[in-house]
Amino acid sequence: MKDEESREKIDEIFCDVIEKMAFMFGEPVTGDELPPSGPHFYSTEMSFHGAREGSLIIAVPAAMCAEIAANVLGVDIDSELAESRSCDALKELLNVTCGNILTALAGEEPVFDLHPPTLSEMDEDGWNKFLADGDTLAYNVDENPVLLKFSFKS
Amino acid sequence: MAYNVLVVDDSVTVRAVIAKTLEIAGVPINELYQASNGQEALDLMAENWVDLIFADINMPVMNGIEFVERMSTEGLLGTIPVVIVSTEGSATRIEQLLRKGVSAYIRKPFTPEMLREVVDRVMESGNEG
Repeated sequence: MKDEESREKIDEIFCDVIEKMAFMFGEPVTGDELPPSGPHFYSTEMSFHGAREGSLIIAVPAAMCAEIAANVLGVDIDSELAESRSCDALKELLNVTCGNILTALAGEEPVFDLHPPTLSEMDEDGWNKFLADGDTLAYNVDENPVLLKFSFKS
Repeated sequence: MAYNVLVVDDSVTVRAVIAKTLEIAGVPINELYQASNGQEALDLMAENWVDLIFADINMPVMNGIEFVERMSTEGLLGTIPVVIVSTEGSATRIEQLLRKGVSAYIRKPFTPEMLREVVDRVMESGNEG
């Protein structure tokens, strides 16, 4: 995802979705401006097909997942519910972001089928490699670093 | 009047969010049922009457579209308003769903106000019919 207009749309959508869903405030930053975190991260990915094929990946620090879940569910961050739903909440954030990006970039006519999100652990090395990818976008979300990569298959 | 509401989504988190948002929106709820796919929802409705259904599109076993199609062939069940809650914004897909008998469509992320407005609208039009 290289062109500036698409990048701006993705920035706007991701920040809007995380604000509306999780009441967290994000801003696009460069890799150098990311707040420190680690060493454990989660990466969630979903692919889509239909009018076009592609995928969306979002990676966050492991500790941020419970914060997202707590805000989405309206419960305390230390609650058992926030802990048990943390991975599911991250997948849902990805799902909503992906659906909204597709409409923004491809328009309202094409139909896409979204595949269920998958989740995997990511270590610091994996995080740094993902950050170094030229198509990866970086965000500061309430002092948490977040990485996102959206791609259409050519 | 308080409603019996059924929320159909394979994500436990999304079901919890819809339940919480209905509460914040002040929608009067008598019973809140949950199912993780269309088949589970049909099984649940064989035993319990519901007034209003919120359903996702993408679910395993039986997705939201198959679920709506099955409901339309099941007599009285076909009269229950179904509101699709999904991330998909395709106008083509939304038109397909409305033609199949879906009452309304809410796109995620949604607010309590959006949910309340849709509930009032679909329940009002159901009462008029």
